Amino acid sequence: MSLKENLRVMVVDDMSVSRALISQSLEEIGIRHFATESDSGAVLGKLATSPVHLVISDMNMPGLSGLDLLAALRGNTATQKIGFILITGTPSPEVLKRGQELGLNNLIRKPFTAATVKTAIERVVGPL
Amino acid sequence: MSMQSIRDTFFEECEDLLEALAEGLARMETGEADSECLNAVFRAVHSIKGGAGAFALSDLVAFAHRFETVLDEIRSDRLDLSDEVMHVLLRSADHLADQVEAAREERSIDEEVTAAFLVNLGTCLGDAGFEAPAADEDFGFSAITLDFGASPGLPAFELPDLGFAGPEFPVTDHPRPDLSHPDPRTSGSGATAAPALADLTPDKKTSAPRHRIRFIPWPQFYSNGHDPLVLITSLAAPGELEIRPDLSSLPEFAEFDPAKPCLAWDILVASHLPEATVEAHFEFVRGLCELSVAPEITPAPAPENPAVALPWPAPLPEPLVEPLTIQSRAPEPEQVVISPPAGPPPDAVIETSALPPEKDTPRDATGEGAGALLRRRLPKSEDDAEGRGPKPTLRVDLERVDRLINAVGELIINQAMIEQSVTDLSLPADTEIISHTEDYRLLARDLQEAVMAIRAQPVKPLFQRMSRIVREAAEATGKPAHLVTIGESTEVDKTVVERLADPLTHMIRNAVDHGLESAAARVAAGKDPEGTIRLSAAHRSGSVIITISDDGGGLDRNRILAKAISRGLVAEGAELSDAEIDNLLFLPGFSTAEKISNLSGRGVGLDVVKNAVGALGGRIAISSTLGSGSEFTISLPLTLAVMDGMVISVAGQTMVIPIASVIETIRPTAADLHLLGTSDRLLSIRGRFLPMIDVAECLGFGRRDPAQASLALLVETDAQAHCALMVDAVLDQRQVVIKGLDSNYGAIPGVSAATVLGDGQIALILDTEALTSNMSGLINGRNGANYLPPAAGATAAPASQSFQPLAARAQALPQPQTGAPHAIH
Repeated sequence: MSLKENLRVMVVDDMSVSRALISQSLEEIGIRHFATESDSGAVLGKLATSPVHLVISDMNMPGLSGLDLLAALRGNTATQKIGFILITGTPSPEVLKRGQELGLNNLIRKPFTAATVKTAIERVVGPL
Repeated sequence: MSMQSIRDTFFEECEDLLEALAEGLARMETGEADSECLNAVFRAVHSIKGGAGAFALSDLVAFAHRFETVLDEIRSDRLDLSDEVMHVLLRSADHLADQVEAAREERSIDEEVTAAFLVNLGTCLGDAGFEAPAADEDFGFSAITLDFGASPGLPAFELPDLGFAGPEFPVTDHPRPDLSHPDPRTSGSGATAAPALADLTPDKKTSAPRHRIRFIPWPQFYSNGHDPLVLITSLAAPGELEIRPDLSSLPEFAEFDPAKPCLAWDILVASHLPEATVEAHFEFVRGLCELSVAPEITPAPAPENPAVALPWPAPLPEPLVEPLTIQSRAPEPEQVVISPPAGPPPDAVIETSALPPEKDTPRDATGEGAGALLRRRLPKSEDDAEGRGPKPTLRVDLERVDRLINAVGELIINQAMIEQSVTDLSLPADTEIISHTEDYRLLARDLQEAVMAIRAQPVKPLFQRMSRIVREAAEATGKPAHLVTIGESTEVDKTVVERLADPLTHMIRNAVDHGLESAAARVAAGKDPEGTIRLSAAHRSGSVIITISDDGGGLDRNRILAKAISRGLVAEGAELSDAEIDNLLFLPGFSTAEKISNLSGRGVGLDVVKNAVGALGGRIAISSTLGSGSEFTISLPLTLAVMDGMVISVAGQTMVIPIASVIETIRPTAADLHLLGTSDRLLSIRGRFLPMIDVAECLGFGRRDPAQASLALLVETDAQAHCALMVDAVLDQRQVVIKGLDSNYGAIPGVSAATVLGDGQIALILDTEALTSNMSGLINGRNGANYLPPAAGATAAPASQSFQPLAARAQALPQPQTGAPHAIH
């Protein structure tokens, strides 16, 4: 079984448009197992019970921001090894710095295409 | 999901975002914005930018980017929120809305306008300037490749598909506790433990005494459909529960019996719950499980092999009855981790580790040793997070809702018909079908109300748009003004909200342009130079009341009257009451502004507003106090589809009159009726004289002897004047489904719509406003008389002729057949 057929991804974004766009890209890449979640707070519990390999999260969200979510995942034994890709428009140096400190796996810049998403994922999990 | 539908979603989402933006900016304007509000405002613009980027709407992205930069500066306290900046923000939000609208309609917006807004935003930033969006693709960020485990070949990926929502997914390389039992996971039974997660929330013992509950479900528990997870977690607030599964009864794999539950739980719950409450909680599963509740005892020290010698090694009791049938569900998969909405925040962990060591001792004994004791942890702040989230909503195509509403309308008609048929059978009162039809009626009404609620929308977006109108009007007239809105959450039918936009816009502009005095005049009058426009909405006895008021100079009645006389609308020397003068404003072609401003004097008068409100079945009224302002009150029905009506009989015709307009019914005696002149009649009631209108005559059924009038309906008109409508009889009072006549037949003067009654007969719904509008006798011939015969000229042939056909027309309407689509929709 190839990697992309087994890779489990959780997409976190409060905007349904972004979720739809990311989902579309993932489908295009051929990643079958992905779920989407709009509430960055609720996703923590979900990931603790049913972990995934990779989280693709937006940066700007109400409640927990993308980096807050990353910090929370890293602070939990069950989820600390999950790969984390942050989607952001223009990352500020602070975001980059904090992301690196937290072990952010990669960034995807908006606007993205299926190709850029694929490249970003491959850099984290290896060739799909 | 196609790109087109994602694009549609984007614009729908934009509406919400723009609404959130407007709301946040309004709070910023009043100075009550906290950092969360600033964040929300920023996020709204940011999200619009993000979405726009995906659809290559570069103008929108560029503008949103600069807007967002300014907001970011404010958010991070680098820029003061001065009045000027606030103004720019508000206007920029307006422009952003325009841009979104333009993008949606795929037209371009004047670049110069956008450029001007960009300059304004740039001025806010001053020297800080804008950095161009970063162009480097990789941000100088190096990706970190995941290590999925020590063993080569990514073992985690070689697992069979467990289904995405599976309870366990071993990404973590956390070691599993060495259970002496074979891992039930391998049996594929679904009874998986999640030991890897066992210590993700470090346990801590509260010092308070607790109840220990021993809970062992028997097979009947599951076959009855109970769920231990729900039962246990609903026992107490999160954080007050410590739940520990007892796996000791798990059999060897070969002996596994899917119909035999093996799990038991030990639950520790804070003892402020009385024991009786705890027992009552398990009331419904009594006899389906073994249950014991006792105060917590400090258990014995942890045994060496935790999995073998658990502190509660009690074996499962033999079920009292062997299950004879196949259970409807397998034993509940052990759901050890009750997922909290959010994981423990770092500070909670710190707090835990900072606990005195002695408090850890019992934990070691009870829980950690077994590696399965978990504690649900839910910090307070998470509750807030839950409450803050948006209500789950569903976007539904309006057409579908309208289809539903149509169907419900037909259902109500059908219900009325069935009821009528049952009544016609004259069955004994205790016949079952009578109570069934009664139930049917109530259900139909419930259904109708529920469906109407779908269409109900808060007036908030409409009101928010108005604050923009005030800003623009204030700018155009040079009169400083702000809008205060009240009752934004009042819900009104969607159509009403949509169709109110234009009249409201017009009235708000009027209020600023004509209502408010100039700043200098206001100061001279001792008022705040900035005018206040108030817009409020409220529900009042089945209607929605919307008021638009200003604190301006009020109506200058002398000028209005002079104008009306000069335009020939009112006879010279006529004596009009204040209310009558105010109502002159609603006459077509009336404009009081000394010079027509290019803002509100666009040749549309308040008569257009009045017509629009009238088309919605509403009414409009003015009140004004010289020197302190005017107030327009619009009262609208809650829904346009159904109304409560009084079924009356006029000249042998069955008609419906909206019950909202009827104040009382009177059976006048001959002594109460007074003739005025040769033909007008007055009804004397409690010392007042009210004009009496013969409905039959108005509709062209011919004139009758006033003395024959058996019944008078007292109705209230727009101008709050009362008058009496003469009818033959009141037959019923019922909910009627409004079926418009305009598209199927054409407008009929004096009739607002039609409905289908229970007996299948079509009844016309009377427009009381039109019927009574010729009562303001002094405004002869201007208002309503173009279709209603003047009271004095009822016998005049042309008028009678134009009305005569109405009775015939009503008869000529096709009669509906049950089950077939009605001719009137």
